[in-house]
Amino acid sequence: MSQSPVRAPARPVAPPFSPVLLLGLALRPLNPTLLQPVFDTMLRMIRRRHPDILERMADYGDKAVCIDPVDLPFVILLEPNPDEPRLTVRREVDPAEIAATIRGPLEMLIALAEGKVDGDALFFSRRLVIEGDTEVVVALRNAIDGAGIDLIEDISVELGPLARPFRGLAGATLGLIDRMKADFETLRSSLIAPAVKDADSQGARIAQLEGEIKQLRKAARRGGAE
Amino acid sequence: MAQAAALTRPELVCPAGTPAALRSAVDAGADCVYVGFRDETNARNFPGLNFSRKELGEGIAYAHERGAKVLVAINTFPHAGKPDIWHQAVADAARLKADAAILADIGLIEHAHRLHPELRLHLSVQAAASNPEAIRFYAERFGVKRVVLPRVLTVAEIAAINPRIAPVETEVFVFGGLCVMAEGRCALSSYVTGQSPNMNGVCSPAADVRYTETHEGITSELGGFTINKFRATEPAGYPTLCKGRFITHDKASYLFEEPTSLNTIAILPDLIRAGVTAFKIEGRQRGRAYVAAVVQAFRAGVDAVLAGQPLPDIDLDRITEGGKQTTGAYEKAWR
Repeated sequence: MSQSPVRAPARPVAPPFSPVLLLGLALRPLNPTLLQPVFDTMLRMIRRRHPDILERMADYGDKAVCIDPVDLPFVILLEPNPDEPRLTVRREVDPAEIAATIRGPLEMLIALAEGKVDGDALFFSRRLVIEGDTEVVVALRNAIDGAGIDLIEDISVELGPLARPFRGLAGATLGLIDRMKADFETLRSSLIAPAVKDADSQGARIAQLEGEIKQLRKAARRGGAE
Repeated sequence: MAQAAALTRPELVCPAGTPAALRSAVDAGADCVYVGFRDETNARNFPGLNFSRKELGEGIAYAHERGAKVLVAINTFPHAGKPDIWHQAVADAARLKADAAILADIGLIEHAHRLHPELRLHLSVQAAASNPEAIRFYAERFGVKRVVLPRVLTVAEIAAINPRIAPVETEVFVFGGLCVMAEGRCALSSYVTGQSPNMNGVCSPAADVRYTETHEGITSELGGFTINKFRATEPAGYPTLCKGRFITHDKASYLFEEPTSLNTIAILPDLIRAGVTAFKIEGRQRGRAYVAAVVQAFRAGVDAVLAGQPLPDIDLDRITEGGKQTTGAYEKAWR
């Protein structure tokens, strides 16, 4: 198990420039325990709607997993004990109390939970970082992927008569986030444009020099042969 | 168009490690879905994966209602003197009305043939039957209807085998992870961890895998041995010994195989013309996003070939191991 502090990994995962990152900065002064009721409600909903997750995790009930959304100023501690599961939000966790850590941007972790992206593919592309007990991470990934979670649909069902307005609100919010992401991308491109221009011109210069070196080597070989 | 009309439509056989993945595969256009029970009777005995008996019954009902079949992989080798869970798995597959069982062990095949004659039998890739004589033996002796060919044959060799084993059907892998060793014979995982895909249903068990992030990148360990190091921006692969990097002559390199995925979408017309009955997608351990993406791609590819249309340009790079793709032994491009 990794003994490095959870919020200071050996190779920090750079959070993407996104609305979530700004939200994270805004939430920094907030005491994470104020968010705990949200996670308590979420856990109750998951237990009701997807009991198979904890059933698939039955062999790993005593292994706590730290879920670290790198663009938010807190981590989530999952204790998958089938009889008494807990989902706790913390500023940080003590490495001694966790078996493993899953680290990545919030949007990606949600997409992973909803089965919209493949965990192996995220790992291959190095966008997801896993540390500690790989077995419990694989079990959790499979259990969650197999549950068929759809957060908006799951919450809607829980809300009963309020489901319809909630779906409308959720759709509008997601649309707003998509537009914000596009704006952020424009802003990011604009900010790094001078650096990209410099890199492009350096790249072109390097390519030119490589071409010249190649020609010189060819000439040298011809000279040697003669 | 006349040429396209003469082609036989191959079945698309898709993986599912969970009920949600089974539904994703069926919804994406799978003709068959193959699954395993939640124990070491199948070669993807991974933590949190696979089906309970109840889930399999529900999965079969879901697939059958939509015109798809469900095949049950019971493709590990029973432990000497302890065949009970393998026998029970075969009995449950038959009881739940699975469309076929995919078996590897010759003793288990004999058992299934004798006690469950109504159960259609497919020969697993783990049995490594790669020539007409071996295939005909399984068919004539035990009534095996289909053989999953090992990933060592060229398209031309497959085309030569098919008429010699008819009416036995062939199934070939078209996408996913590759094993470079003789199927069902590899002992590399067992050598390092004591567990193998053949006997325990798991290659490089997750309990023996550790990843460590450093400033240089990520280090993967298997059974306490460092088997690979990936630079910070380098795509990673599975932590199997066959895809480890080894130092020889002071240089670290892949000796057996680089992390790469099989992708035959470009040679689908050749495989269809070779008379293959079913196309198999590897990856019961992958998520339902993978299942949906690959099944959709190959559904579109097969349908395009049969309609005499150009192959669709579908990019599957993002879900491949190591970010690389190969046609493997089908073309043997390395020769």
